[in-house]
Amino acid sequence: MGSGETNGAGRYIKGVTLGEGTFGVVFKAIDRVTNRTVAVKKIRLGKYKEGVNVTALREIKLLKELQDPNIIELIDVYPHKRNLHLVFEYMESDLEAVIRDRNIVLSPADIKSYMQMTLKGLAVCHKKWVLHRDMKPNNLLLGSDGQLKLADFGLARIFGSPDRKFTHQVFALWYRAPELLFGSKFYGPGVDIWAAGCIFAELILRRPFLQGSSDIDQLGKIFGAFGTPRESQWPDMTSLPDYVEYQYSPPQPFRSLFPMASEDCIDLLQRLFTYDPRSRISAQQALEHRYFLTEPVPTKPHLLRRPPPRSEGPPELQSPAEPFVFSPPNKARRVQLFGGDIRTAGEANRESNPQDFRDQGTPGDTIMAPM
Amino acid sequence: MADFITSTHRKKWILSPQDLIKNCQAANQRAVEALQKYGATRVECQPDGTLAYPGAPIQGDSGQGSLPEPLTVAEELLVRRFYEQKIQQVSAAFSFPYKIQATAILYFKRFYQKWSVMEHDPKHIMLTCIYLSCKVEEFHVSAEELGKGIQQDPQVVLKNELTVLQASVSMYFELIVYTPYRSVDGFIYDLEELKLAAQFIVDSMMLTDAPLLFPPGQLALAALCTANREEPKVDFDRYLQNMPGRQRQRHSYAELMGVLDSIDLLVKDTNQPVEADVRRIDRKLKYCRNPGLQDEGKGKRERKVKQKQKRASHDIPMVNALDNSPLDLNEMHGVKRRQSEGDVML
Repeated sequence: MGSGETNGAGRYIKGVTLGEGTFGVVFKAIDRVTNRTVAVKKIRLGKYKEGVNVTALREIKLLKELQDPNIIELIDVYPHKRNLHLVFEYMESDLEAVIRDRNIVLSPADIKSYMQMTLKGLAVCHKKWVLHRDMKPNNLLLGSDGQLKLADFGLARIFGSPDRKFTHQVFALWYRAPELLFGSKFYGPGVDIWAAGCIFAELILRRPFLQGSSDIDQLGKIFGAFGTPRESQWPDMTSLPDYVEYQYSPPQPFRSLFPMASEDCIDLLQRLFTYDPRSRISAQQALEHRYFLTEPVPTKPHLLRRPPPRSEGPPELQSPAEPFVFSPPNKARRVQLFGGDIRTAGEANRESNPQDFRDQGTPGDTIMAPM
Repeated sequence: MADFITSTHRKKWILSPQDLIKNCQAANQRAVEALQKYGATRVECQPDGTLAYPGAPIQGDSGQGSLPEPLTVAEELLVRRFYEQKIQQVSAAFSFPYKIQATAILYFKRFYQKWSVMEHDPKHIMLTCIYLSCKVEEFHVSAEELGKGIQQDPQVVLKNELTVLQASVSMYFELIVYTPYRSVDGFIYDLEELKLAAQFIVDSMMLTDAPLLFPPGQLALAALCTANREEPKVDFDRYLQNMPGRQRQRHSYAELMGVLDSIDLLVKDTNQPVEADVRRIDRKLKYCRNPGLQDEGKGKRERKVKQKQKRASHDIPMVNALDNSPLDLNEMHGVKRRQSEGDVML
C-alpha cells in the first residue's frame, strides 16, 4: 500500500504539457510499468468544497466500465499533491484536426472508415446504457495506429432508468439533436446518433454542417436543410417543453446537400438525420447498413492519412473555446444558399429575448426566412 | 445501468466466502499490528496516497500492558452491520431514492474489505459513502446539506472522499455498482407482461362457455399457464405442482393439468363471432322475439336496401345494430359462420 515506484505518481515519468483542459493541465508521460506513452489529466482538488469534481467522477466511473478499441482507455487514476490524476492512453490527433487539414484528402473509403469507428464506439456505449452527450470531431481522438476513439465522457450519463429526467443542455450547439433543441428531458441514444450524422456530414463537406448561432437558429438551420418536420414525421414533437411552431419550409433534396455522396451514403445520412428519435437508426443498425457493406471498403485505420502529430507545447494545443469556422469563404457562401439569410433577420433581438419569440405562438416570416 | 456481464462489479467484486474471511482477517490483523507498533490503530491516507499512523511509535515492549484491547473479527463485523443499517436510516431520513442507500452500502462494504473499522472510523466512512453515492448516482446533495442534516461537520464527509475512492487502496475507482432493486423491477416487469398476456386470454375466455363450466381460479390458472407457454417467464409447472397441497383442493396435479388443458382447448376452439354474422343473427333475433316487427320491418328494410344501393355503402356500425336488443355478446359463443342462411327473413 502507499505509493511505490510503480504505483501512483511514481509510476509515470512526466513529460511536456499537452494543453489545458476545462479543469486542469494535461501532460504527456511515460508509464514505467508498460513503457507506454500516456496522457495525464491533472484535476485540481484545491477548492475542496465539493470534493472530487463531478465531471471527473463521471468520466472515471463510466470509462472504468467501457473497454473497447474505439473508446479511450483510462489506464489509471491516482491522487497526488491535492490533484487527482487521470491517466489515459496517448492519442496523437483528433478528427477535427483531420477535417481542418486541407492537405489531407478524405476519400469516400476514408470517411467510411472514420464513420465505422465512430459508430462502433457509440454502439458499445449504447449497449452498455451510456449516452456520450458530447459527440463532436474534437472529442474523437486518433491514435498513432489510426484508430479513432471516443473521448471526453465528462457529460456522459447512464440512461435507461424510467422517469429519469436529463438536462437538454448537452452537446456543442451544432451537434445538438432537434429534440434537445425543443427542450426534451426524456431522451435516449438518438441524441448521439444525430451528432454522429453531423460528424458524417462534416467529413463529407469539410466544414461543420449546421452552424447555428443560438438554439432557435440551430433549429432554423436544421429545418432549412431537412424541411420543417410534419407531425406525421414526428408525432411527439408538439408536446416537447420548448416546442415552437416554425414556418413551413420544404426539405432540400439530400442530393443537393451532399452532391458528391453515393446513394448508400445518402440513405444512411437520411436515417441518421431522422426527426423522430424513435425511428432514428441505432448505432448498431447503422453499422449493418449497406453503406458499410458495399464498395469502397473502409480504409484500414493504419492507412488513414493523419495530420502531423500535435506539436508539443501549450500554445498551439489550446483548443478554441469559441466555435471556429474552418471553411474557406466560397464554402461559406454555399451554406448561405441553403441556409437562407436567417442571420440577418433580427438575429440579435431573437437571441437576447428568446422567450418573447416563443410567446408569439406562430412566429412567422420575420423569424424564419423562407428557405 | 444494465450491462452487468462486462462490469467491474462482476469481474472484481463478486467474492467467495473464503475471500470475505481472508480479507477481514487480514485487515483485522494489520490493525492489531499497528496497535502494537504505534499504540493506535488509526490510519490516515495522505492526499498523495501514502499512509500515516498518527499514533507515536512504541519503544520496546514496555507499553504493551497498557494497550487497549483490539476488536475481534466478529466484533468488527457487528460494527459494520450496525453502520450499514445506519446508512439505510440516514438515507431514509433524507428520503433519498433507494438506489442511493444501496450503492452507499456497497461502497461501505467494499471499503471494509480492504480496511479494518479500527483503522478508519466507520461513522465517517459511512457518511462519505452516502455522499459519494449521491454524486455517482447523479442525485446532487452538497456536503454541507448532508452534514447539516445529520449534525456533522461537512469537512468530515469530504475528508475521507479520496480515501474511499482511491485506487490501490480501496475501491480502485470502480464506482458503478449493481443492486438487486433494479433486478426485482426487472422480474416484476416480466410478470407484469405475463399478467397482461393472461388478462388478454381471460378476455377471450369470457366469450366462451368456460365461465359457466369452471371456477374462476382454474380459469385464471389456465390463462396464466397459456400466457406463460407462449412466452415462458416462470416455472409454472412447479407452481402448479405445489398448488393442490397448498389449497387443500380436491384435485390432484394431474387432474388440475387436465382441467387447465380443457380450458385452454375450449378457448382455442371457440370461434369469435364476426360482425356481419352478428348483425344477421341479431336481425333474426329481433324478429323472432317480436314477430310483429316482421311486416313493418319488411317495408323499412326494402327502403333501406334501396338507399343502400344508392349510396353503395353498408356501414352500419355494430353498436347500433345491437343497441335496441338485449342481446349480450356472451350469449353468442359457438356461433359458427353459416353461409346460406343470410336471407331467411326476407
